[in-house]
Amino acid sequence: MTAILAAEWLRLRTTRGAWLLLAAAQLIIVLGVSGLMLRGDNLADPGVQQQAVAHLGLVSLFTLVLGITAVAGEHRHRTVSDTYLAVPRRARVVLAKLAVYTAAGLGFGLAAAISALSSTAVWLTVRGETIQFDNTDLWRTVAGGIAWNAVFAALGVGVGALITNQIGAIATALAWLALIEGLVGQLIGDARKWLPFALGSALDRLPTATDGPAQWVAGLVLLGYAAAFTAAAVLTTTRRDVT
Amino acid sequence: MTDIAIRDLTKRFGPVTAVDRLTVDLTPGVTGFLGPNGAGKSTTLRMILGLIRPSGGTALIGGRHYADLDHPRRTVGAMLEASGAHPGRTGRQHLRVAARLADLPDARVGVVLDQVGLSAAADRRVGGYSLGMRQRLGLAAALLGDPPVLVLDEPANGLDPAGMAWLRGLLRDLAAQGRTIVVSSHVLAEVAQTADRVVIVHDGTVRYAGPLTDLSGPAGLESEFLRLTTGSTR
Repeated sequence: MTAILAAEWLRLRTTRGAWLLLAAAQLIIVLGVSGLMLRGDNLADPGVQQQAVAHLGLVSLFTLVLGITAVAGEHRHRTVSDTYLAVPRRARVVLAKLAVYTAAGLGFGLAAAISALSSTAVWLTVRGETIQFDNTDLWRTVAGGIAWNAVFAALGVGVGALITNQIGAIATALAWLALIEGLVGQLIGDARKWLPFALGSALDRLPTATDGPAQWVAGLVLLGYAAAFTAAAVLTTTRRDVT
Repeated sequence: MTDIAIRDLTKRFGPVTAVDRLTVDLTPGVTGFLGPNGAGKSTTLRMILGLIRPSGGTALIGGRHYADLDHPRRTVGAMLEASGAHPGRTGRQHLRVAARLADLPDARVGVVLDQVGLSAAADRRVGGYSLGMRQRLGLAAALLGDPPVLVLDEPANGLDPAGMAWLRGLLRDLAAQGRTIVVSSHVLAEVAQTADRVVIVHDGTVRYAGPLTDLSGPAGLESEFLRLTTGSTR
């Protein structure tokens, strides 16, 4: 199993797309923080500062895409046959990818946290304020945002293993986040807070997640989603004919 | 010395029977696995390698299913028609991933790159490779584990005449070391100079298995091949 983990890690490091996603995510964070800091009024308010830093969780969209490419990318570039020839027990492949990409999502979240905190601090200095590092809520958002990045990477691995057409999988995931979750939410009423993006928002303590579950509950339920997707992914992956 | 024993191997995709109770033994030396497009060659090779689940029958390598081999890559090297590589990775990186995945030493990467004559291009991105270079990369991956069995699906695709001559030489060398080599092709002439024996498949069943020399009928090799692979038996 260590050999497979090492191989997946090498594979991830030598994929330019992963580094491009990482770079793009930092730009998005700086953009989001800047918008708030440029237009905001009471920047000394700890709540506003926390809101700025919370942008780190939104780039979990990128870790979701990264996770999708783990398996779907192998189908796209037709390397999946070779992978299963080296490791005929395909469940091991899926689990190794899950481990490596969740770790990568964690690293992604850490980088995002550093970008969000530093760009917020810089903007506050420019505007003649200081960031309040003794604000517990700020650090809860940092922790939750990092966790959101990691768990969405894991979720992505499951999605990509279930929908092996990479374009289809990414389009489905983005459509879910941008449109479908909102539409489904209207149908199911209060239960909408248990849908993935709403849970991520609660985990990151976004201002939009006021009626969501407690932070730790949101994290646990998201882990449940990731576990369910992984189980489904392992089942379909081991049965599928690779033509 | 490792044999591949195929018994009553069958694969149905919905209403289509792609491989129909195919039975044959593949032994050391070069076996040409021939048949027109759609004859069931690739499906058969993929069932040997555990990539496609048979509807019936068995394909055993040295008496074991592919998935039960202790070191699959050290036992069987395969290059499939659909084998690919990430275009953003260099040839060397591609092989290093493959080596790590199969728990093979990194040092094998340089050896197989030399073996297929790809060392000079090893640090270029695969996206810039010609079709012939991709085929060489696929062969290099198949040879990584120095396996006694090689399964090559249409390895001559995209090779220029010099490349074809090189491939023939490589296969003859590997066969001389006692390996079992299966080479599929839809063109008889491609394997005629290399194969010790041929298996001709049509409509998912074996139409001929034996030495090439016994195949040539009164009208010659090519027309005998055509006679066996046209028309339906069903």
